[in-house]
Amino acid sequence: MTDINKNNIDNITENNKDEIKIEVKNLNFNYGDYHLLKDINLFFKKNSVCTILGPSGCGKSSFLRTLNRMNDYTEGSKLTGEVLLDGKNIYSKSVDVVELRRNVGMVFQSPNPFPKTIFENVAFGLKIHGIKNKQFIEERVEKCLKYAGLFDEVKDKLHKNAFSLSGGQQQRLCIARAIATNPSVLLMDEPTAYLDPAATATILDLIADFKKFYTIIIVSHNIQQAGRISDYSGFFLDGELIEFSKSGDFFTRPKDKRTENFITNRF
Amino acid sequence: MLKLKLNHKDDLFKFILSIFVFGIILIFFTVVTVILYYSYPAVSRFGIAFLWTKEWNPPKEIFGAATFIAGTFMVTIIALIFAIPLSLGIGIFLEEYCPKFLKGFFTIIIELLAGIPSVVFGVWGVLTIVPWLRKYIEPFFKSHFSFIPFLQVTENIGYGILAASIVVAFMVVPIIASITKDSLAAVPKITKDGALAMGATRLDVIKDISLPFSYRGIYGGIILGFGRAVGETIAVVLLIGNQAIIPKSIFGVGYTISAVLANTFTFAVISPIYASSEVELALILLLVSLIVNIIGRNVLQKVIGGKLSRAQFGGG
Ligand SMILES: Nc1ncnc2c1ncn2[C@@H]1O[C@H](COP(=O)(O)OP(=O)(O)OP(=O)(O)O)[C@@H](O)[C@H]1O
Ligand SMILES: [Mg+2]
Repeated sequence: MTDINKNNIDNITENNKDEIKIEVKNLNFNYGDYHLLKDINLFFKKNSVCTILGPSGCGKSSFLRTLNRMNDYTEGSKLTGEVLLDGKNIYSKSVDVVELRRNVGMVFQSPNPFPKTIFENVAFGLKIHGIKNKQFIEERVEKCLKYAGLFDEVKDKLHKNAFSLSGGQQQRLCIARAIATNPSVLLMDEPTAYLDPAATATILDLIADFKKFYTIIIVSHNIQQAGRISDYSGFFLDGELIEFSKSGDFFTRPKDKRTENFITNRF
Repeated sequence: MLKLKLNHKDDLFKFILSIFVFGIILIFFTVVTVILYYSYPAVSRFGIAFLWTKEWNPPKEIFGAATFIAGTFMVTIIALIFAIPLSLGIGIFLEEYCPKFLKGFFTIIIELLAGIPSVVFGVWGVLTIVPWLRKYIEPFFKSHFSFIPFLQVTENIGYGILAASIVVAFMVVPIIASITKDSLAAVPKITKDGALAMGATRLDVIKDISLPFSYRGIYGGIILGFGRAVGETIAVVLLIGNQAIIPKSIFGVGYTISAVLANTFTFAVISPIYASSEVELALILLLVSLIVNIIGRNVLQKVIGGKLSRAQFGGG
Protein backbone atom coordinates (compact mmCIF):
# COMPACT_ATOMS: atom_id res chain seq x y z
CA MET A 1 0.00 0.00 0.00
CA THR A 2 2.65 2.43 1.11
CA ASP A 3 4.52 1.69 -2.10
CA ILE A 4 1.61 2.73 -4.22
CA ASN A 5 1.35 5.94 -2.22
CA LYS A 6 5.03 6.64 -2.74
CA ASN A 7 4.64 6.08 -6.48
CA ASN A 8 1.80 8.53 -6.63
CA ILE A 9 3.82 11.10 -4.84
CA ASP A 10 6.86 10.56 -7.04
CA ASN A 11 4.74 11.16 -10.11
CA ILE A 12 3.64 14.45 -8.78
CA THR A 13 6.99 15.53 -7.42
CA GLU A 14 8.31 15.44 -10.97
CA ASN A 15 6.50 18.72 -11.29
CA ASN A 16 7.61 21.85 -9.53
CA LYS A 17 7.82 21.31 -5.80
CA ASP A 18 7.15 24.99 -5.11
CA GLU A 19 3.65 24.41 -6.30
CA ILE A 20 2.82 22.19 -3.34
CA LYS A 21 0.27 23.77 -1.04
CA ILE A 22 -0.42 20.96 1.40
CA GLU A 23 1.68 17.90 2.02
CA VAL A 24 0.33 15.06 4.14
CA LYS A 25 2.98 12.79 5.61
CA ASN A 26 2.40 9.45 7.33
CA LEU A 27 -0.92 10.61 8.67
CA ASN A 28 -2.65 8.22 11.07
CA PHE A 29 -5.88 9.06 12.78
CA ASN A 30 -7.83 7.33 15.53
CA TYR A 31 -11.27 7.72 17.04
CA GLY A 32 -10.42 6.20 20.41
CA ASP A 33 -9.28 2.65 19.68
CA TYR A 34 -10.64 2.77 16.15
CA HIS A 35 -7.70 3.27 13.82
CA LEU A 36 -9.45 4.94 10.91
CA LEU A 37 -6.91 6.71 8.67
CA LYS A 38 -3.87 4.58 7.97
CA ASP A 39 -0.57 6.01 6.86
CA ILE A 40 -1.84 8.60 4.41
CA ASN A 41 0.72 10.32 2.15
CA LEU A 42 -0.22 12.81 -0.54
CA PHE A 43 0.18 16.30 -1.94
CA PHE A 44 -2.22 19.02 -2.92
CA LYS A 45 -0.88 21.44 -5.49
CA LYS A 46 -1.49 25.17 -5.41
CA ASN A 47 -4.54 26.37 -7.35
CA SER A 48 -5.71 22.88 -8.16
CA VAL A 49 -8.96 21.10 -7.50
CA CYS A 50 -8.65 17.68 -5.93
CA THR A 51 -11.53 15.29 -5.36
CA ILE A 52 -11.56 12.71 -2.60
CA LEU A 53 -13.68 9.70 -3.51
CA GLY A 54 -14.62 6.55 -1.67
CA PRO A 55 -17.51 4.54 -0.28
CA SER A 56 -19.48 5.78 2.68
CA GLY A 57 -17.65 5.43 5.98
CA CYS A 58 -14.18 5.12 4.45
CA GLY A 59 -12.96 8.24 6.24
CA LYS A 60 -13.26 11.01 3.64
CA SER A 61 -14.83 13.54 5.98
CA SER A 62 -12.48 12.59 8.78
CA PHE A 63 -9.52 13.09 6.47
CA LEU A 64 -10.77 16.49 5.35
CA ARG A 65 -11.20 17.53 8.97
CA THR A 66 -7.58 16.71 9.72
CA LEU A 67 -6.59 19.46 7.29
CA ASN A 68 -8.02 22.29 9.40
CA ARG A 69 -7.78 20.53 12.76
CA MET A 70 -11.55 20.26 13.18
CA ASN A 71 -10.93 17.02 15.06
CA ASP A 72 -9.28 18.95 17.87
CA TYR A 73 -12.61 18.95 19.66
CA THR A 74 -13.52 15.32 19.03
CA GLU A 75 -13.10 13.52 22.31
CA GLY A 76 -10.68 10.60 22.14
CA SER A 77 -9.33 11.42 18.70
CA LYS A 78 -5.61 10.89 18.14
CA LEU A 79 -3.42 11.90 15.26
CA THR A 80 0.16 11.15 14.28
CA GLY A 81 2.13 12.25 11.25
CA GLU A 82 2.30 15.66 9.65
CA VAL A 83 0.16 18.00 7.62
CA LEU A 84 2.40 20.64 6.09
CA LEU A 85 0.68 23.80 4.93
CA ASP A 86 3.12 25.95 2.96
CA GLY A 87 5.82 23.75 4.46
CA LYS A 88 4.74 24.26 8.07
CA ASN A 89 3.22 21.47 10.16
CA ILE A 90 -0.24 22.62 11.23
CA TYR A 91 -0.08 20.28 14.22
CA SER A 92 3.06 21.82 15.67
CA LYS A 93 2.59 23.56 19.00
CA SER A 94 3.37 27.02 17.70
CA VAL A 95 0.48 27.03 15.22
CA ASP A 96 -2.42 29.35 15.98
CA VAL A 97 -5.56 27.34 15.18
CA VAL A 98 -7.62 30.48 14.72
CA GLU A 99 -5.19 31.76 12.09
CA LEU A 100 -5.02 28.29 10.49
CA ARG A 101 -8.78 28.27 10.04
CA ARG A 102 -8.75 31.76 8.64
CA ASN A 103 -6.40 30.44 5.99
CA VAL A 104 -8.18 27.12 5.41
CA GLY A 105 -11.88 27.63 4.79
CA MET A 106 -14.46 24.87 5.00
CA VAL A 107 -17.82 24.29 3.37
CA PHE A 108 -20.04 21.56 4.76
CA GLN A 109 -22.24 18.84 3.37
CA SER A 110 -25.50 20.61 4.09
CA PRO A 111 -25.84 24.39 4.16
CA ASN A 112 -25.22 25.58 7.71
CA PRO A 113 -25.81 29.32 7.85
CA PHE A 114 -25.63 30.92 11.28
CA PRO A 115 -28.82 32.14 12.96
CA LYS A 116 -28.03 35.66 11.80
CA THR A 117 -28.67 37.93 8.85
CA ILE A 118 -27.18 37.30 5.42
CA PHE A 119 -24.78 40.19 5.96
CA GLU A 120 -23.73 39.02 9.42
CA ASN A 121 -23.10 35.52 8.11
CA VAL A 122 -20.52 36.73 5.62
CA ALA A 123 -19.07 39.25 8.08
CA PHE A 124 -18.78 36.61 10.82
CA GLY A 125 -15.24 35.53 10.04
CA LEU A 126 -14.04 39.12 9.77
CA LYS A 127 -15.49 39.92 13.19
CA ILE A 128 -13.98 36.80 14.69
CA HIS A 129 -10.61 37.86 13.39
CA GLY A 130 -10.91 41.26 14.98
CA ILE A 131 -11.70 43.42 11.95
CA LYS A 132 -13.80 46.38 13.03
CA ASN A 133 -13.62 48.79 10.09
CA LYS A 134 -17.26 49.04 8.96
CA GLN A 135 -16.52 50.21 5.45
CA PHE A 136 -13.98 47.44 4.89
CA ILE A 137 -16.44 44.85 6.16
CA GLU A 138 -19.23 46.13 3.92
CA GLU A 139 -17.05 46.11 0.83
CA ARG A 140 -15.72 42.68 1.64
CA VAL A 141 -19.19 41.22 2.21
CA GLU A 142 -20.40 42.57 -1.11
CA LYS A 143 -17.32 41.27 -2.92
CA CYS A 144 -17.61 37.79 -1.45
CA LEU A 145 -21.32 37.58 -2.21
CA LYS A 146 -20.46 38.56 -5.79
CA TYR A 147 -17.73 35.92 -6.01
CA ALA A 148 -20.20 33.35 -4.75
CA GLY A 149 -22.68 34.44 -7.41
CA LEU A 150 -25.27 35.37 -4.84
CA PHE A 151 -25.13 39.15 -4.64
CA ASP A 152 -27.78 39.96 -7.23
CA GLU A 153 -30.23 37.60 -5.56
CA VAL A 154 -29.80 38.99 -2.06
CA LYS A 155 -28.71 42.60 -2.46
CA ASP A 156 -32.12 43.88 -1.35
CA LYS A 157 -32.36 41.66 1.71
CA LEU A 158 -28.89 41.63 3.21
CA HIS A 159 -30.38 42.21 6.63
CA LYS A 160 -32.91 39.41 6.43
CA ASN A 161 -32.33 36.16 8.24
CA ALA A 162 -30.13 33.74 6.32
CA PHE A 163 -32.67 30.94 6.81
CA SER A 164 -35.03 32.77 4.49
CA LEU A 165 -32.84 31.70 1.54
CA SER A 166 -33.28 28.53 -0.52
CA GLY A 167 -30.95 25.58 0.07
CA GLY A 168 -28.81 26.40 -2.95
CA GLN A 169 -28.61 30.06 -1.97
CA GLN A 170 -27.72 29.09 1.60
CA GLN A 171 -24.87 26.93 0.34
CA ARG A 172 -23.55 29.78 -1.80
CA LEU A 173 -23.84 31.99 1.26
CA CYS A 174 -21.72 29.48 3.17
CA ILE A 175 -19.17 29.64 0.36
CA ALA A 176 -19.18 33.45 0.52
CA ARG A 177 -18.73 33.18 4.27
CA ALA A 178 -15.81 30.78 3.87
CA ILE A 179 -13.93 33.03 1.44
CA ALA A 180 -14.53 36.23 3.40
CA THR A 181 -11.44 35.72 5.54
CA ASN A 182 -9.34 35.43 2.40
CA PRO A 183 -8.21 31.82 2.81
CA SER A 184 -5.80 30.11 0.44
CA VAL A 185 -7.34 26.66 0.82
CA LEU A 186 -11.00 25.64 0.59
CA LEU A 187 -12.17 22.31 1.98
CA MET A 188 -15.57 21.17 0.76
CA ASP A 189 -17.32 18.12 2.15
CA GLU A 190 -19.89 17.04 -0.44
CA PRO A 191 -20.98 20.64 -0.93
CA THR A 192 -23.75 19.70 -3.34
CA ALA A 193 -25.09 16.61 -1.57
CA TYR A 194 -28.46 18.11 -0.76
CA LEU A 195 -28.92 20.41 -3.73
CA ASP A 196 -30.97 19.99 -6.89
CA PRO A 197 -29.20 19.69 -10.27
CA ALA A 198 -29.51 23.38 -11.11
CA ALA A 199 -28.11 24.55 -7.77
CA THR A 200 -25.41 21.88 -8.05
CA ALA A 201 -24.39 23.12 -11.49
CA THR A 202 -24.09 26.68 -10.18
CA ILE A 203 -21.78 25.57 -7.39
CA LEU A 204 -19.66 23.41 -9.69
CA ASP A 205 -19.15 26.38 -12.01
CA LEU A 206 -18.05 28.41 -9.01
CA ILE A 207 -15.53 25.79 -7.99
CA ALA A 208 -14.02 25.66 -11.48
CA ASP A 209 -13.69 29.43 -11.35
CA PHE A 210 -12.29 29.53 -7.81
CA LYS A 211 -9.20 27.55 -8.82
CA LYS A 212 -7.59 30.87 -9.71
CA PHE A 213 -7.60 31.91 -6.08
CA TYR A 214 -7.65 28.81 -3.96
CA THR A 215 -6.42 25.30 -3.55
CA ILE A 216 -9.63 23.29 -3.40
CA ILE A 217 -10.17 19.87 -1.88
CA ILE A 218 -13.61 18.38 -2.37
CA VAL A 219 -15.14 15.24 -0.99
CA SER A 220 -17.62 13.86 -3.46
CA HIS A 221 -19.82 10.88 -4.05
CA ASN A 222 -20.35 11.78 -7.63
CA ILE A 223 -17.71 10.28 -9.88
CA GLN A 224 -18.78 12.06 -13.05
CA GLN A 225 -18.69 15.35 -11.22
CA ALA A 226 -15.22 14.62 -9.91
CA GLY A 227 -13.95 13.76 -13.35
CA ARG A 228 -15.31 16.96 -14.76
CA ILE A 229 -14.07 19.53 -12.27
CA SER A 230 -10.98 18.12 -10.61
CA ASP A 231 -7.32 18.11 -11.59
CA TYR A 232 -6.44 15.35 -9.13
CA SER A 233 -8.43 12.54 -7.62
CA GLY A 234 -7.84 10.31 -4.63
CA PHE A 235 -9.61 7.10 -3.72
CA PHE A 236 -10.04 6.09 -0.08
CA LEU A 237 -11.10 2.64 1.08
CA ASP A 238 -11.37 1.65 4.74
CA GLY A 239 -9.21 4.56 5.81
CA GLU A 240 -6.44 3.83 3.32
CA LEU A 241 -5.49 5.93 0.34
CA ILE A 242 -5.65 3.41 -2.49
CA GLU A 243 -4.84 5.67 -5.36
CA PHE A 244 -4.01 9.30 -5.94
CA SER A 245 -3.22 10.75 -9.35
CA LYS A 246 -4.12 13.25 -12.04
CA SER A 247 -7.80 12.92 -12.79
CA GLY A 248 -7.11 12.04 -16.42
CA ASP A 249 -5.07 9.00 -15.41
CA PHE A 250 -7.26 8.23 -12.45
CA PHE A 251 -10.38 7.78 -14.49
CA THR A 252 -8.96 6.31 -17.68
CA ARG A 253 -6.02 4.23 -16.41
CA PRO A 254 -6.50 3.46 -12.72
CA LYS A 255 -3.52 1.55 -11.36
CA ASP A 256 -5.33 -0.33 -8.67
CA LYS A 257 -8.01 -2.92 -9.33
CA ARG A 258 -10.08 -1.59 -6.43
CA THR A 259 -10.10 1.91 -7.87
CA GLU A 260 -11.18 0.51 -11.21
CA ASN A 261 -13.99 -1.44 -9.56
CA PHE A 262 -15.13 1.62 -7.69
CA ILE A 263 -15.15 3.79 -10.81
CA THR A 264 -16.77 1.26 -13.11
CA ASN A 265 -19.43 0.19 -10.65
CA ARG A 266 -20.58 3.72 -10.40
CA PHE A 267 -20.33 4.79 -14.02
CA MET B 1 -67.52 8.27 21.86
CA LEU B 2 -71.12 7.37 22.60
CA LYS B 3 -71.25 4.98 19.68
CA LEU B 4 -68.41 2.80 21.00
CA LYS B 5 -68.88 -0.85 20.19
CA LEU B 6 -68.11 -2.41 23.56
CA ASN B 7 -67.90 -5.95 22.19
CA HIS B 8 -64.35 -5.26 21.02
CA LYS B 9 -61.74 -5.58 23.75
CA ASP B 10 -59.78 -2.80 22.15
CA ASP B 11 -62.68 -0.44 22.27
CA LEU B 12 -63.37 -1.31 25.88
CA PHE B 13 -59.79 -0.51 26.76
CA LYS B 14 -60.00 2.75 24.88
CA PHE B 15 -63.24 3.57 26.67
CA ILE B 16 -61.70 2.99 30.11
CA LEU B 17 -58.69 5.12 29.23
CA SER B 18 -61.01 7.86 28.01
CA ILE B 19 -62.72 7.84 31.38
CA PHE B 20 -59.36 8.29 33.12
CA VAL B 21 -58.48 11.20 30.88
CA PHE B 22 -61.91 12.68 31.40
CA GLY B 23 -61.37 12.30 35.16
CA ILE B 24 -58.19 14.35 35.02
CA ILE B 25 -59.93 17.11 33.13
CA LEU B 26 -62.76 16.97 35.67
CA ILE B 27 -60.32 17.32 38.57
CA PHE B 28 -58.72 20.34 36.94
CA PHE B 29 -62.04 22.09 36.45
CA THR B 30 -63.21 21.12 39.94
CA VAL B 31 -60.15 22.78 41.45
CA VAL B 32 -60.69 25.94 39.44
CA THR B 33 -64.43 26.00 40.17
CA VAL B 34 -64.08 25.41 43.91
CA ILE B 35 -61.43 28.11 44.23
CA LEU B 36 -63.58 30.56 42.25
CA TYR B 37 -66.71 29.68 44.24
CA TYR B 38 -65.19 30.02 47.70
CA SER B 39 -63.23 33.17 46.88
CA TYR B 40 -66.35 34.89 45.57
CA PRO B 41 -67.46 36.44 48.94
CA ALA B 42 -64.05 38.08 49.41
CA VAL B 43 -63.85 39.16 45.78
CA SER B 44 -67.25 40.83 45.95
CA ARG B 45 -66.62 42.42 49.34
CA PHE B 46 -63.10 43.84 48.85
CA GLY B 47 -63.09 44.19 45.08
CA ILE B 48 -59.89 44.89 43.18
CA ALA B 49 -58.53 46.88 46.17
CA PHE B 50 -57.77 43.49 47.72
CA LEU B 51 -54.63 43.50 45.62
CA TRP B 52 -53.15 46.67 47.12
CA THR B 53 -54.61 46.74 50.63
CA LYS B 54 -51.74 46.23 53.08
CA GLU B 55 -53.73 45.37 56.15
CA TRP B 56 -54.43 41.73 57.00
CA ASN B 57 -56.46 41.81 60.17
CA PRO B 58 -58.65 38.76 60.86
CA PRO B 59 -60.24 40.10 64.12
CA LYS B 60 -61.36 43.29 62.32
CA GLU B 61 -62.16 41.34 59.18
CA ILE B 62 -60.02 43.60 57.02
CA PHE B 63 -58.17 41.63 54.38
CA GLY B 64 -55.71 42.78 51.73
CA ALA B 65 -53.11 40.80 49.82
CA ALA B 66 -50.46 43.48 49.25
CA THR B 67 -47.96 42.24 51.86
CA PHE B 68 -48.15 38.66 50.55
CA ILE B 69 -47.95 39.72 46.93
CA ALA B 70 -44.91 41.87 47.75
CA GLY B 71 -43.23 39.03 49.64
CA THR B 72 -43.97 36.52 46.89
CA PHE B 73 -42.71 38.91 44.25
CA MET B 74 -39.50 39.68 46.16
CA VAL B 75 -38.66 36.05 46.91
CA THR B 76 -39.33 35.04 43.31
CA ILE B 77 -37.30 37.84 41.75
CA ILE B 78 -34.34 37.55 44.11
CA ALA B 79 -34.32 33.78 43.74
CA LEU B 80 -34.25 34.15 39.96
CA ILE B 81 -31.48 36.76 40.15
CA PHE B 82 -29.34 34.15 41.91
CA ALA B 83 -30.59 31.17 39.96
CA ILE B 84 -30.43 32.42 36.36
CA PRO B 85 -26.68 33.10 36.06
CA LEU B 86 -25.86 29.98 38.06
CA SER B 87 -28.16 27.79 35.95
CA LEU B 88 -26.95 29.21 32.65
CA GLY B 89 -23.38 28.65 33.77
CA ILE B 90 -24.10 25.05 34.71
CA GLY B 91 -26.09 24.36 31.53
CA ILE B 92 -23.41 25.89 29.31
CA PHE B 93 -20.62 24.07 31.12
CA LEU B 94 -22.36 20.70 30.89
CA GLU B 95 -23.21 20.99 27.22
CA GLU B 96 -20.20 22.80 25.84
CA TYR B 97 -17.19 22.07 28.03
CA CYS B 98 -17.78 19.08 30.27
CA PRO B 99 -16.03 15.81 29.36
CA LYS B 100 -18.53 13.08 28.50
CA PHE B 101 -17.98 10.83 31.52
CA LEU B 102 -18.53 13.73 33.94
CA LYS B 103 -21.52 15.06 32.05
CA GLY B 104 -23.60 11.97 32.83
CA PHE B 105 -22.63 12.15 36.48
CA PHE B 106 -23.48 15.85 36.83
CA THR B 107 -26.74 15.38 34.99
CA ILE B 108 -27.79 12.71 37.49
CA ILE B 109 -26.85 14.99 40.39
CA ILE B 110 -28.99 17.76 38.94
CA GLU B 111 -31.93 15.41 38.51
CA LEU B 112 -31.52 14.23 42.11
CA LEU B 113 -31.44 17.83 43.30
CA ALA B 114 -34.68 18.49 41.45
CA GLY B 115 -36.27 15.54 43.26
CA ILE B 116 -35.39 16.56 46.83
CA PRO B 117 -38.59 17.39 48.78
CA SER B 118 -38.78 21.10 49.42
CA VAL B 119 -39.15 20.67 53.19
CA VAL B 120 -35.69 19.08 53.19
CA PHE B 121 -34.34 22.11 51.38
CA GLY B 122 -36.07 24.27 53.99
CA VAL B 123 -34.50 22.40 56.89
CA TRP B 124 -31.12 22.62 55.22
CA GLY B 125 -31.63 26.37 54.82
CA VAL B 126 -32.46 26.81 58.50
CA LEU B 127 -29.34 24.86 59.49
CA THR B 128 -26.89 26.53 57.09
CA ILE B 129 -28.10 29.63 55.26
CA VAL B 130 -29.76 31.29 58.29
CA PRO B 131 -26.72 31.13 60.61
CA TRP B 132 -24.42 32.09 57.75
CA LEU B 133 -26.50 35.18 57.01
CA ARG B 134 -26.77 36.03 60.70
CA LYS B 135 -23.10 35.62 61.56
CA TYR B 136 -21.34 36.91 58.43
CA ILE B 137 -23.46 38.46 55.75
CA GLU B 138 -25.83 40.63 57.75
CA PRO B 139 -23.13 42.15 60.04
CA PHE B 140 -21.01 42.84 56.97
CA PHE B 141 -23.82 44.64 55.18
CA LYS B 142 -24.79 46.42 58.36
CA SER B 143 -21.35 47.97 58.77
CA HIS B 144 -20.61 48.66 55.11
CA PHE B 145 -23.76 49.09 53.05
CA SER B 146 -26.41 50.34 55.43
CA PHE B 147 -26.85 53.47 53.31
CA ILE B 148 -28.18 51.46 50.33
CA PRO B 149 -31.96 51.12 50.20
CA PHE B 150 -33.22 47.52 50.24
CA LEU B 151 -29.95 46.35 51.81
CA GLN B 152 -30.41 47.66 55.34
CA VAL B 153 -30.15 45.20 58.19
CA THR B 154 -32.45 45.92 61.12
CA GLU B 155 -33.02 42.68 62.94
CA ASN B 156 -29.97 40.58 62.13
CA ILE B 157 -31.71 37.26 62.76
CA GLY B 158 -30.82 35.47 59.56
CA TYR B 159 -34.43 34.68 58.73
CA GLY B 160 -36.18 36.72 56.08
CA ILE B 161 -36.64 37.38 52.37
CA LEU B 162 -33.01 36.74 51.49
CA ALA B 163 -32.78 33.41 53.32
CA ALA B 164 -35.96 32.21 51.60
CA SER B 165 -34.76 33.50 48.21
CA ILE B 166 -31.41 31.74 48.43
CA VAL B 167 -33.01 28.39 49.23
CA VAL B 168 -35.69 28.80 46.56
CA ALA B 169 -32.89 29.65 44.11
CA PHE B 170 -31.28 26.28 44.82
CA MET B 171 -34.60 24.61 44.09
CA VAL B 172 -35.01 26.44 40.80
CA VAL B 173 -31.46 25.93 39.51
CA PRO B 174 -31.97 22.27 38.48
CA ILE B 175 -34.99 23.22 36.37
CA ILE B 176 -33.36 26.09 34.49
CA ALA B 177 -29.98 24.35 34.23
CA SER B 178 -31.36 21.16 32.71
CA ILE B 179 -33.55 23.03 30.24
CA THR B 180 -30.58 25.22 29.29
CA LYS B 181 -28.51 22.10 28.71
CA ASP B 182 -31.22 20.50 26.56
CA SER B 183 -31.75 23.66 24.55
CA LEU B 184 -28.05 23.97 23.85
CA ALA B 185 -27.94 20.29 22.88
CA ALA B 186 -30.60 21.01 20.26
CA VAL B 187 -28.30 23.43 18.43
CA PRO B 188 -27.21 21.60 15.25
CA LYS B 189 -23.61 20.40 15.49
CA ILE B 190 -23.01 21.35 11.89
CA THR B 191 -23.81 24.99 12.68
CA LYS B 192 -21.37 25.02 15.58
CA ASP B 193 -18.77 23.27 13.42
CA GLY B 194 -19.33 25.95 10.81
CA ALA B 195 -18.33 28.63 13.28
CA LEU B 196 -15.35 26.66 14.61
CA ALA B 197 -14.16 26.15 11.05
CA MET B 198 -14.16 29.93 10.63
CA GLY B 199 -11.70 30.23 13.49
CA ALA B 200 -14.25 30.95 16.20
CA THR B 201 -13.25 29.99 19.72
CA ARG B 202 -15.62 27.96 21.84
CA LEU B 203 -16.63 31.13 23.63
CA ASP B 204 -17.44 32.77 20.27
CA VAL B 205 -19.56 29.75 19.36
CA ILE B 206 -21.51 29.94 22.62
CA LYS B 207 -22.02 33.68 22.32
CA ASP B 208 -22.73 33.97 18.61
CA ILE B 209 -24.27 30.63 17.69
CA SER B 210 -25.51 28.51 20.57
CA LEU B 211 -27.19 31.16 22.71
CA PRO B 212 -28.90 32.97 19.80
CA PHE B 213 -30.09 29.57 18.58
CA SER B 214 -31.41 28.38 21.91
CA TYR B 215 -32.51 31.50 23.74
CA ARG B 216 -36.18 30.63 23.41
CA GLY B 217 -35.67 27.34 25.19
CA ILE B 218 -33.67 28.98 27.93
CA TYR B 219 -36.32 31.65 28.23
CA GLY B 220 -38.97 28.93 28.60
CA GLY B 221 -36.86 27.28 31.30
CA ILE B 222 -36.64 30.56 33.20
CA ILE B 223 -40.41 30.94 33.03
CA LEU B 224 -40.91 27.43 34.41
CA GLY B 225 -38.40 28.27 37.14
CA PHE B 226 -40.40 31.39 37.87
CA GLY B 227 -43.51 29.23 38.23
CA ARG B 228 -41.73 26.97 40.68
CA ALA B 229 -40.42 29.91 42.74
CA VAL B 230 -43.80 31.64 42.91
CA GLY B 231 -45.53 28.59 44.32
CA GLU B 232 -42.80 27.29 46.60
CA THR B 233 -44.22 26.91 50.07
CA ILE B 234 -42.70 24.80 52.79
CA ALA B 235 -39.10 25.96 52.43
CA VAL B 236 -40.35 29.54 52.48
CA VAL B 237 -42.49 28.98 55.58
CA LEU B 238 -39.40 27.78 57.41
CA LEU B 239 -37.22 30.69 56.35
CA ILE B 240 -39.07 33.89 55.62
CA GLY B 241 -40.04 34.94 59.15
CA ASN B 242 -43.80 34.88 58.46
CA GLN B 243 -44.85 38.45 59.20
CA ALA B 244 -47.46 40.23 57.11
CA ILE B 245 -45.46 43.36 56.39
CA ILE B 246 -44.04 44.78 53.21
CA PRO B 247 -40.30 44.21 53.55
CA LYS B 248 -38.19 47.35 53.27
CA SER B 249 -35.00 45.37 52.77
CA ILE B 250 -33.98 42.01 51.41
CA PHE B 251 -32.77 41.22 54.94
CA GLY B 252 -36.23 41.94 56.36
CA VAL B 253 -38.80 39.33 57.28
CA GLY B 254 -41.98 38.95 55.25
CA TYR B 255 -44.63 36.55 54.09
CA THR B 256 -45.64 34.97 50.82
CA ILE B 257 -49.04 33.90 49.53
CA SER B 258 -48.20 30.24 49.71
CA ALA B 259 -46.64 30.56 53.18
CA VAL B 260 -49.62 32.33 54.73
CA LEU B 261 -51.97 29.73 53.28
CA ALA B 262 -49.92 26.87 54.67
CA ASN B 263 -49.66 28.49 58.10
CA THR B 264 -53.17 29.81 58.66
CA PHE B 265 -55.76 28.26 56.40
CA THR B 266 -56.74 25.69 59.03
CA PHE B 267 -57.72 28.49 61.46
CA ALA B 268 -59.24 30.65 58.77
CA VAL B 269 -62.15 28.29 58.25
CA ILE B 270 -63.73 29.53 61.50
CA SER B 271 -64.80 32.74 59.79
CA PRO B 272 -66.40 32.67 56.32
CA ILE B 273 -64.88 35.95 55.13
CA TYR B 274 -61.45 35.09 56.55
CA ALA B 275 -61.57 31.75 54.75
CA SER B 276 -62.82 33.34 51.56
CA SER B 277 -60.00 35.90 51.64
CA GLU B 278 -57.46 33.12 51.93
CA VAL B 279 -59.07 31.26 49.05
CA GLU B 280 -58.75 34.46 47.04
CA LEU B 281 -55.00 34.39 47.80
CA ALA B 282 -55.00 30.85 46.45
CA LEU B 283 -56.82 32.09 43.36
CA ILE B 284 -54.11 34.70 42.70
CA LEU B 285 -51.44 32.02 43.01
CA LEU B 286 -53.40 29.64 40.78
CA LEU B 287 -53.81 32.23 38.03
CA VAL B 288 -50.17 33.29 38.13
CA SER B 289 -48.94 29.68 38.01
CA LEU B 290 -51.32 28.75 35.20
CA ILE B 291 -50.35 31.70 33.07
CA VAL B 292 -46.65 31.23 33.72
CA ASN B 293 -46.78 27.53 32.94
CA ILE B 294 -48.79 27.98 29.77
CA ILE B 295 -46.36 30.60 28.49
CA GLY B 296 -43.32 28.57 29.55
CA ARG B 297 -44.52 25.36 27.94
CA ASN B 298 -45.54 27.08 24.74
CA VAL B 299 -42.14 28.66 24.41
CA LEU B 300 -40.41 25.36 25.15
CA GLN B 301 -42.51 23.31 22.76
CA LYS B 302 -41.37 25.44 19.87
CA VAL B 303 -37.74 24.75 20.65
CA ILE B 304 -37.19 21.33 22.11
CA GLY B 305 -38.69 18.10 20.85
CA GLY B 306 -36.85 18.13 17.54
CA LYS B 307 -39.09 20.81 16.12
CA LEU B 308 -36.48 23.51 15.89
CA SER B 309 -38.09 25.94 13.51
CA ARG B 310 -34.85 27.46 12.38
CA ALA B 311 -36.40 30.33 10.53
CA GLN B 312 -37.60 31.83 13.78
CA PHE B 313 -34.19 32.40 15.22
CA GLY B 314 -31.71 35.14 14.94
CA GLY B 315 -31.56 38.73 13.98
CA GLY B 316 -33.34 39.02 10.64
N1 LIG C 1 -16.76 11.51 16.10
C1 LIG C 1 -16.58 10.21 15.79
N2 LIG C 1 -16.33 9.30 16.76
C2 LIG C 1 -16.17 8.01 16.44
N3 LIG C 1 -16.23 7.51 15.22
C3 LIG C 1 -16.48 8.35 14.20
C4 LIG C 1 -16.66 9.74 14.42
N4 LIG C 1 -16.89 10.34 13.24
C5 LIG C 1 -16.83 9.36 12.31
N5 LIG C 1 -16.58 8.16 12.87
C6 LIG C 1 -16.44 6.89 12.18
O1 LIG C 1 -15.36 6.97 11.29
C7 LIG C 1 -15.67 6.34 10.06
C8 LIG C 1 -15.46 7.28 8.91
O2 LIG C 1 -16.36 8.37 9.02
P1 LIG C 1 -16.35 9.55 7.98
O3 LIG C 1 -17.46 10.47 8.33
O4 LIG C 1 -15.00 10.10 7.89
O5 LIG C 1 -16.69 8.78 6.62
P2 LIG C 1 -17.03 9.33 5.18
O6 LIG C 1 -16.11 8.66 4.25
O7 LIG C 1 -17.05 10.81 5.17
O8 LIG C 1 -18.49 8.76 4.94
P3 LIG C 1 -19.73 9.43 4.17
O9 LIG C 1 -19.46 9.27 2.73
O10 LIG C 1 -20.89 8.59 4.60
O11 LIG C 1 -19.83 10.85 4.60
C9 LIG C 1 -17.09 5.82 10.18
O12 LIG C 1 -17.04 4.46 10.49
C10 LIG C 1 -17.66 6.61 11.34
O13 LIG C 1 -18.58 5.80 12.04
MG1 LIG D 1 -18.60 12.28 5.00
